[in-house]
Amino acid sequence: MLEIKNLHVKVGGKEILQGIDLTVNAGEVHAIMGPNGSGKSTLSYLLSGREGYEVTKGSVTYKGQDLLPLSVDQRAAAGVFLAFQYPIEIPGVTTMTFLKTALNSVRKARGEEELDAPRFLKLVREKAKPLNVADDMLKRALNVGFSGGEKKRAEILQMSLLEPTLAILDETDSGLDIDALKVVADGVNALRSPERAMIVITHYQRLLDYIVPDVVHVLSKGKIVRTGGKELAGELERTGYAEFAA
Amino acid sequence: MTDAAKTFVETYERERGSLPASGLVWLSARRDAAMKEFAASGLPHRRLEDWRYTDLARALEKASVVSAPLHKGDVALPDATAINVFGAVDRHVVVFVNGVMQTKISDLPSGVTVVSLSDALSADWAKTLVETRVSDAQAANVTALNLALMRGGLALHLAKGVKLDKPLHLIHLAGDDGASHRRNLVRLDDGAEAVIYESYVSAGATNYFDDVVTNVSLGAEARLTHIKVQDEAAGAVHLATLTAALAAKSYFSSFTMTLGSALSRNQTFVRFDGEGAQAHVNGATALRGRQHGDQFCIVDHAVPSCTSATLYRTVLDDASTGVFQGKVIVRPYAQKTDGRQMSNALLLSRDAAMNAKPELEIYADDVQCAHGSTIGELNREALFYLRSRGIDEQSARQLLISAFLDEAFETVPDDAAREGLRALAADWFRLALKEDA
Ligand SMILES: Nc1ncnc2c1ncn2[C@@H]1O[C@H](COP(=O)(O)OP(=O)(O)O)[C@@H](O)[C@H]1O
Ligand SMILES: [Mg+2]
Repeated sequence: MLEIKNLHVKVGGKEILQGIDLTVNAGEVHAIMGPNGSGKSTLSYLLSGREGYEVTKGSVTYKGQDLLPLSVDQRAAAGVFLAFQYPIEIPGVTTMTFLKTALNSVRKARGEEELDAPRFLKLVREKAKPLNVADDMLKRALNVGFSGGEKKRAEILQMSLLEPTLAILDETDSGLDIDALKVVADGVNALRSPERAMIVITHYQRLLDYIVPDVVHVLSKGKIVRTGGKELAGELERTGYAEFAA
Repeated sequence: MTDAAKTFVETYERERGSLPASGLVWLSARRDAAMKEFAASGLPHRRLEDWRYTDLARALEKASVVSAPLHKGDVALPDATAINVFGAVDRHVVVFVNGVMQTKISDLPSGVTVVSLSDALSADWAKTLVETRVSDAQAANVTALNLALMRGGLALHLAKGVKLDKPLHLIHLAGDDGASHRRNLVRLDDGAEAVIYESYVSAGATNYFDDVVTNVSLGAEARLTHIKVQDEAAGAVHLATLTAALAAKSYFSSFTMTLGSALSRNQTFVRFDGEGAQAHVNGATALRGRQHGDQFCIVDHAVPSCTSATLYRTVLDDASTGVFQGKVIVRPYAQKTDGRQMSNALLLSRDAAMNAKPELEIYADDVQCAHGSTIGELNREALFYLRSRGIDEQSARQLLISAFLDEAFETVPDDAAREGLRALAADWFRLALKEDA
């Protein structure tokens, strides 16, 4: 599904990713752990196509095609989804309007029929319920005045509506209490499927107790320095990141 | 004196005897004095503080300023969004061509006084309104020009407690090139209520000067809601002056949507004459090309316990220019004043420019006042976020621009009209997309 080879990325003139190799197959969940500043968010932004990230070396292949020439929205239509570490507040655009515009844009790009208002409403309520996202929240401006937990649940709601094939979750656990974490993890687990791959970025093992990964990587100073099974997460929890300090 | 100013002086000499109600001695005397005042000061120039950012004299050098002909023939209403925006509302429609009321195609409400300016001028209430000076600001010389040459317009008078059954939609069509100076008079006696919509569009004219002065006077507890859409031709100059004098506990709400004309200036002067009154002066502007749009607003809290709020939202594309000059004056005696004003501008292009000058002049101590202005660009983070959800760049921009203007539309106290304004903004945006493509 995703093949990253010797990827070097510069941000603001500084090389942040310094030769990443990563292969993620359909059906797999990969965790990327690492100290603050190691480049985890940089990798997720690069994959989603944010401007300002210069690839100086290496390649990113997604579903057999070069991902890098695609625009941000083309990537989304092709099934790449990033759950933001810090979701952006957008005053004046209600969550509902945003969700409908996003879903229909993606459906259109994928050659699917756009949903009319009643069908969309039914679908969004169905997806929102298990995430404890109430109608009231959908009527508010996107992320404006949302608590940390509400923001993260809104991200997972977007993900479940857009049905990506490659989902990247950037520290979706940060700022969540244990109950909120469970709701979010359940939402993510419900989307696990043989056709879908996930990259779960986290600082802590805690999330990985609920979203059990197939592979765990440790990112340090812009490089993947260790790769192992899910037990690696537990080991890191005990030893800390001292040996990988940024 | 500029050529345009000279033309106005000559026009007055030529037309003095044929202007409406020229038989009224008081009016002829006022017109003569006004023209003298105008001739002495000329058109406003940029050395005047109130006109620092808007060069009216220069714009009028290019505009056709001889009087537009009095339009007598039949006209068909153009199929313009700026008119249709109020289409969903059951309303009275009054059509003006070059400022002159077209009674044949208008639907005037009955039981109230809605007449053309010339028919109104002999009435005492109209005389009082024409003679009211709401502000000493440097707007005076353009209102003097209007007073001297005013020819068409509407006069609405509601007696005590009368509520207009439906909104009154004034459709101002520019049928021919040239200048038309018109005056609208609106007097609501105590407790009267009205909703007035206005649309300014061209019906064939391309090069013209619309000079409109509207004088509003509200009695105690009277309520007036005014919503105006200006989408004049690309070569037009639109100058609109609105004065409002508010008696105790009256309510005045004015919203101006500006889309058209080469240069436009809306200058609004509100004066509180009685306690407990409220004024909302808001607007939304969207410009492109080399358009210039100026919103000038002075709210004078001359008595205690009144509330005023002003919000303008401006979107500027290409090499367009926006201006906001606003002032809240709180006189020494006007305690418990609540006065707010805010201008927010969104620049869509590097060549667009916004000039904003909000001012407070406060001479009382127990007041709540706030003012401010912001000038910004579309938030790149927000654009990225929307696009990362599959929304293409143009749609993402449209969502953010609509959201920006929507805060201004939220101030419109009329649901149907608010929806119409939203649709109008969406239309503006679609045109921008077409031009970019
Ligand atoms: N826009 C930027 N300009 C310059 N440096 C940046 C920028 N964004 C991130 N960095 C730097 O890149 C490094 C990696 O950041 P990031 O990817 O956010 O780390 P992580 O998500 O692992 O905490 C940090 O040293 C950070 O300061
Ligand atoms: Mg990060």
